[in-house]
Amino acid sequence: MLVGGVAAGLFGSLLGLGGGLLIVPLLTLGFGLPLREAVGVSLVCVIVTSSASASVYLQRRQANLRLGMVLELFTGFGALLGGAIAFLVDERLLAGLFAALLVYVAATMVRGARRSGAALVPDEASPALDDALSLESAAGDEGPESIEVDPDRVGLGISPDGARRMPLALVGSVGAGVASALLGIGGGLVKVPVMHLGLGVPLRIATATSNLMVGITASTSAIVYLLRGGIDAYATGPTAVGVFVGASLGSRLGHRVDLRILRVLFVAVLLYTALQMARRATGL
Amino acid sequence: MRGTPTSGSATVAPPVAPASLESALAHLLQIGTYVSIGLILVGSILLIAGGTSPLAGAPALSLQQLPADVLAARPAGFLWLGILGVLVTPALRVLRALVGFWRRGEPRMAGIALAVLVLIVAGVIVGVMAG
Repeated sequence: MLVGGVAAGLFGSLLGLGGGLLIVPLLTLGFGLPLREAVGVSLVCVIVTSSASASVYLQRRQANLRLGMVLELFTGFGALLGGAIAFLVDERLLAGLFAALLVYVAATMVRGARRSGAALVPDEASPALDDALSLESAAGDEGPESIEVDPDRVGLGISPDGARRMPLALVGSVGAGVASALLGIGGGLVKVPVMHLGLGVPLRIATATSNLMVGITASTSAIVYLLRGGIDAYATGPTAVGVFVGASLGSRLGHRVDLRILRVLFVAVLLYTALQMARRATGL
Repeated sequence: MRGTPTSGSATVAPPVAPASLESALAHLLQIGTYVSIGLILVGSILLIAGGTSPLAGAPALSLQQLPADVLAARPAGFLWLGILGVLVTPALRVLRALVGFWRRGEPRMAGIALAVLVLIVAGVIVGVMAG
């Protein structure tokens, strides 16, 4: 389980994915944990990695604290809803939803690779985890691509067009929270597009802000899981440590690994996992 | 008294630097994460050293039992304490932000932070009622 966690954290970090996408299939298909219990473990792991990364994003002023707090009010509400209904939904339906999510991510990876050859989907956990190990140095690291949120700006840092689309963004945020609670993911797959495409927030800031929001989104539903007995401490321990170590390794190794080969391999793994999840959903 | 700069007054509290809140939140998140993952690591080592399978099924969380479990170096004590630390850290970040926004003279943002905290409390209530 520890090794599996390291692998999930490592691959998630290298490919710019949050850990939840990999932890849930690992625990359900690999270790036979009930899906709902795997989601609970995954939520804890997602909070660990996102909190560590968010500390660096905040220090670098890449995360928009004000916008994040406004939106996390709605993702948190969605997570509360999701946490409340998660125990009412049939596990087969959850498995089906997870299979659909995996196929979506695989398709996004393929599309992203064709378009730019760059990272595939917005990362929600790990790129800054390495720097979290040395926050002081990270604070002074402002490379050429660094984009800061103006600390003196009291507004939310969104475009005028984005301001008009705010109601839609708030609905999207609630959806991200529900998805996070049901599937044990950070929800960056929804939150980043909502901020970047919907509100006109620069991608880097949207990614960092999404990362910051993951903590509240996931912890709101994780509390519900915890109090309903949906988190197993024994299964969570080694998995969380593994994911944390793996994500740290991944962010250190990221620039040394040929991601093209890894991406092809990973798409295959995602599709195979989606198939297994679909089989679980249909009982075939 | 809020920390808004006011020239010409020796009694005014020192102004809060605009970036200090973000730095304070960053440090809080970092400390919370490392303390929590440290506790989880200790619990995991105790679990594996004791020959217990992670799939064996942990005892349910009991706040009354927690101190005794930690003092007796039982894995469940450290694991539950670490998991609680993980879950509480984001809420502490919001609480610290609430204080920071209030001191900056941003009552609207402080109100939003308060609403987020209320949401987390609602999560506890939903969990307790449904559990």
